[in-house]
Amino acid sequence: MFKKILIANRGEIAVRIIRSCREMNILTVAVYSDADRHGLHVRYADEAYHLGPPKASESYLKSDKILEIAQQCGADAIHPGYGFLAERADFSQACLDRGISFIGPKPSSIAAMGDKQVARETVTKANVPVVPGTEGQGDLSDEALLKIAPEIGFPLLIKPSAGGGGKGMREVLNIKEMPGLLTASRREAESSFGDGNIYLEKLIQGARHIEIQILADQHGNVIHLGERECSIQRRHQKLLEEAPSPFIGDDQDLRDKMGEVAVQAARAVDYINAGTIEFLVDNDKNYYFLEMNTRLQVEHPVTEAVTGIDIVKEQIRIAAGQPLSLKQEDITMRGWAMECRINAEDPFREFLPSTGLITQSIIPAGPGIRIDTGVYSGYEVSPYYDALISKLIVHEESRKETIARMKRALDEYRVIGIRTNIPFHQALLENQDFLTGNFDTQFIQDSNLPLGGKQMDQSLPEIAALTAVLATHKRTQHSAISIQRGKRDTSNWKLVGRWERTKD
Amino acid sequence: MTNEIYFAEINGKEYRIEIFSESRVVINGTAHEIDYKTLKQHASCSLLFDGRSFEPNTYQENGGWEILLQGRRFNVVVEDERERRLRMAAGQTSTQKGKYTLLAPMPGLVIDIQVKVGDEVKEGQVLLILESMKMQNELKAPRDGKIAQIQAKDGDNVERKETLLVLE
Repeated sequence: MFKKILIANRGEIAVRIIRSCREMNILTVAVYSDADRHGLHVRYADEAYHLGPPKASESYLKSDKILEIAQQCGADAIHPGYGFLAERADFSQACLDRGISFIGPKPSSIAAMGDKQVARETVTKANVPVVPGTEGQGDLSDEALLKIAPEIGFPLLIKPSAGGGGKGMREVLNIKEMPGLLTASRREAESSFGDGNIYLEKLIQGARHIEIQILADQHGNVIHLGERECSIQRRHQKLLEEAPSPFIGDDQDLRDKMGEVAVQAARAVDYINAGTIEFLVDNDKNYYFLEMNTRLQVEHPVTEAVTGIDIVKEQIRIAAGQPLSLKQEDITMRGWAMECRINAEDPFREFLPSTGLITQSIIPAGPGIRIDTGVYSGYEVSPYYDALISKLIVHEESRKETIARMKRALDEYRVIGIRTNIPFHQALLENQDFLTGNFDTQFIQDSNLPLGGKQMDQSLPEIAALTAVLATHKRTQHSAISIQRGKRDTSNWKLVGRWERTKD
Repeated sequence: MTNEIYFAEINGKEYRIEIFSESRVVINGTAHEIDYKTLKQHASCSLLFDGRSFEPNTYQENGGWEILLQGRRFNVVVEDERERRLRMAAGQTSTQKGKYTLLAPMPGLVIDIQVKVGDEVKEGQVLLILESMKMQNELKAPRDGKIAQIQAKDGDNVERKETLLVLE
């Protein structure tokens, strides 16, 4: 087993990985940019080394520097987390070359799945169905894409060839608006991934995004850990995930079939370690391979909750050469789990990112609740990285009870100083279609959720008015006292004493 | 003595709130027992209102208050008696505002300014695109108006609360 692991990441995922390492008695090494000296991962790790300026390209993407640090501090393995270097075949190769274990798949598997065009060809050969589109046809010009588009049919999606997470993705309804959207997509892809290449894909309407978690060891064993439902997305960014999927529900045949197909797809690229096969599932339960994420997913905790398996520990054991201790028949899903991604975004201002000092953070606790986060009271949210500040995961017996628990947890959650999307989640959990499991990937865009839900305690506006008045009054009193200080006939000491008590 | 009668307006509805003491207020003629405790930076407070417990977050935004309460947002404009008298004399309604200054809501890179000085814009129209947290964010006009001034240009790195443009 490894003695020391370097975590080439930041934020909640770095903290998450450190936790498993510590429980396995493995020393941890954090790396950080100038913007992250105060990151929780730096404080939790056994060792921490500086990488460079805040920009990812000068810090968390500096593979040479990270490898150098790993060698100097004697780390025998590197865990890349998600994002940054996680899906870079050259980084996986560079680790191998230096005799450091990469906790993830082989370079060839990353390359095969990372190039989405190769991925489609590969899984098609393994009899896995794919969504129609221009992947596999090379990097086409705008002219060529405009010509092919009507053959695929509208609506369709423009997607960047490099990377995921919804960045640079655009939905096209007709040929007229397409040229402008092509330009916008290339621009965003260029700035996010340094690669402006894009491709087209048919948009499956009524589609659900359901993914299968797989684990594969170095001894040829591949198993799946069931599905995650990830259809709740805004601008193609996942916001809430759950396991199992309410759409699959008790259709064990569909679950088994998708699981088997996912295992086939993984075997097709000789996959090793944890990975995720994403599918689009249409109304008739046809499923299409979307892509494979050759890394740990943000939403892995919902699978951990229902299967009882620590996926990060499994990743480490696999990378250390141990065979899987579990067989497919050992895997069962118990109860229901749900995750809300808490983002530093203001749902009342069209989800604009919110940065700044977190003056206070009170996280929910109690039965069945897990929080993965990298922030705390006094932490400053910087504009350099993504907006995810924490993940709230709850587990209960049924979906209904899970939702009740999640609502309770969201009510308890306080993040003061910056804005978060907690009110969005609260509104979502009141929505009738969400409650009955009747939603697809377009749901958030189409449903125009009323923030705060429909039913309102009638006294709330009055409470809000009173709060604003009391806040104003307090401020006025404050300034009045400082102006009148010399004129008062009472002792100034007494005044100061009163202010010490009442000021914030 | 400071003024103890205030007028708060939410969506056109007015609340006359009289503060008698730290524990007693009268709202539109009805008396209530209260206990108001603030925490750090006024953003979070605990309010007991006739025995019911509330935890509103308060933020000052564009001359008014933004109160977040039980997953809802309330925009409140507060005046004391004197301010109200002055405004009445000038014949304005409280929601009438002069200039609107668009401030950068977060640090970022100005990607695309879609208007020029003198343009008439509609509420909800995209004014400019600001890139931050790896996302391109559209900043929109909060109301109809005319672009009076533009202080940023494409490619500018702006700080939070830096003035981008002025609408009148």
